[in-house]
Amino acid sequence: MDKILKFENVSKHYPNGVHALKNVSFEVNEGEFVSIIGPSGSGKSTILRSINKLIPISDGNITLDGLLVSQQKGKELRKLRRKVGMIFQNYNLVYSLSVLQNVLHGRLGYMDGLKGIFGLYSEEDKKEAINLLNELGMEQFCYNRASDLSGGQKQRVGIARAIMQNPKLLLCDEPIASLDPSSAKTIMDLLRDMTRKRNIACIVNLHQLDVAIKYSTRIIGLSKGEVVFDGPPEKLTDDVIERIYNTSRENLMIGGAGNDKKDSADCA
Amino acid sequence: MTKRIPLIAREQKRMYTIFIAVALVLFIATSFYTNFNIMTLAQNSDAFWAFITKDFFPPALPKASRIPGVLSSVVVTLALAMSSTTIAAVLAFFVSLFASEKISPFPKLAKYVRGFATFLRNIPALVWAFILFSSLGIGTGVGFVALLITSFAFMVRAFVETIEDVSQDCVESLQAVGAGFWQRVWQAILPSCLNGFLSWFLYCIEVNIRASTIVGMVGGGGVGLTLFSYIKGFQYDIAFSIILLIAAMVIVVDRITGKLRKEILK
Repeated sequence: MDKILKFENVSKHYPNGVHALKNVSFEVNEGEFVSIIGPSGSGKSTILRSINKLIPISDGNITLDGLLVSQQKGKELRKLRRKVGMIFQNYNLVYSLSVLQNVLHGRLGYMDGLKGIFGLYSEEDKKEAINLLNELGMEQFCYNRASDLSGGQKQRVGIARAIMQNPKLLLCDEPIASLDPSSAKTIMDLLRDMTRKRNIACIVNLHQLDVAIKYSTRIIGLSKGEVVFDGPPEKLTDDVIERIYNTSRENLMIGGAGNDKKDSADCA
Repeated sequence: MTKRIPLIAREQKRMYTIFIAVALVLFIATSFYTNFNIMTLAQNSDAFWAFITKDFFPPALPKASRIPGVLSSVVVTLALAMSSTTIAAVLAFFVSLFASEKISPFPKLAKYVRGFATFLRNIPALVWAFILFSSLGIGTGVGFVALLITSFAFMVRAFVETIEDVSQDCVESLQAVGAGFWQRVWQAILPSCLNGFLSWFLYCIEVNIRASTIVGMVGGGGVGLTLFSYIKGFQYDIAFSIILLIAAMVIVVDRITGKLRKEILK
């Protein structure tokens, strides 16, 4: 298995004095499905955004696909970013554009000059976008405005946009936090199946412990900017959970096996 | 007698008392300073009424040969407002991209761009008109520039707020796919902010219709100049019908732009 991503002693101080990451080190291999769990403010979002330099780090090294992230600038940075797909809690679509246009945004990193600016995509790209929407069960919404979709549908467009980039790594920032339980299951299933099929490594920030345990091949636990757990879901004992969330297990809303039985067929 | 129960907090009551006292003192001080006396106004009210009823009423039409000229001056005023606002909007769009820390490729300069726009905005269009007339001479061209400057500065501010309100999330996601600055502008900021921009643009047209009448009076041409020349010629009854014409024009434009803005923001 090839190494895709490597964090070495990464730290981040924000200008307002917040010490978001302290000496974080971990690695992600090709095809892994890694969940990052931890309470709000533990640095989960900072980790994801430092990988594609949406947030610059203060100290340490991040190596992505053999390149040092902090050294990339301008054109090189754009090239690096297009290798990394990103999915957001609030979907972050351009709501006044059509679904197809939003999916094709995934190709912008590959386009230069006026073609990219005015969105003159190649027929090949358009075909691929439509195929992807087919795969996600969204083909009938190609020409709907993104604002007309439901939450689960918007997130599927977000997934399609990220996959359009042909990424090696997918970053998901609380992808199901704004969704109802049944849409959430669809989205998690899609993320797992699509990344597995394409051998894309996937890092997901999650608040739902049960989801993390069910889907991940590995879990990273963060607490106050430090990695306190890094291992397979089976090893996530009550002790560890208490250390991550800094409170006893009874005080946590963890969710039960009940979620698994939900039917995903009628989801929105 | 028992103590009465107050209905509002004592501090609040004291605040109101202080506020009213200060307002009263200010009124007395300022009217003393400006020699304003309500009694003089009352004494002169006869002359004022006579002016309104005899000189202004009834509104009279200008000579038939002048009517096409008056109407075309209305068109000039409308055109002045529309064209200056349009050019200002295009310029303001490009400048506003550099005036927002969150999206500008040079975030450190954003503050200065905004400061410059604020400076331009705080000088009223009328003052700009006077400055430009003294240096460049009178004419619609100069009126155009005076309106352009103020509405440009206003729209920069309004556009920056629209951009920061609307497009934060989608700009981030396009950054993440590796899109360059102009790609982000054309593929995310413009489509998501276009309605907001148009709404501000229409509002600016409303403002500029009124402003272009005023700027016209001091030399910018259009219906303002026509009105001013009738007033100077003591033909108040004709001036009155032109004032009515201006009011009608402003109301019609307000209603049209108001309706369009409502449609756009739906």
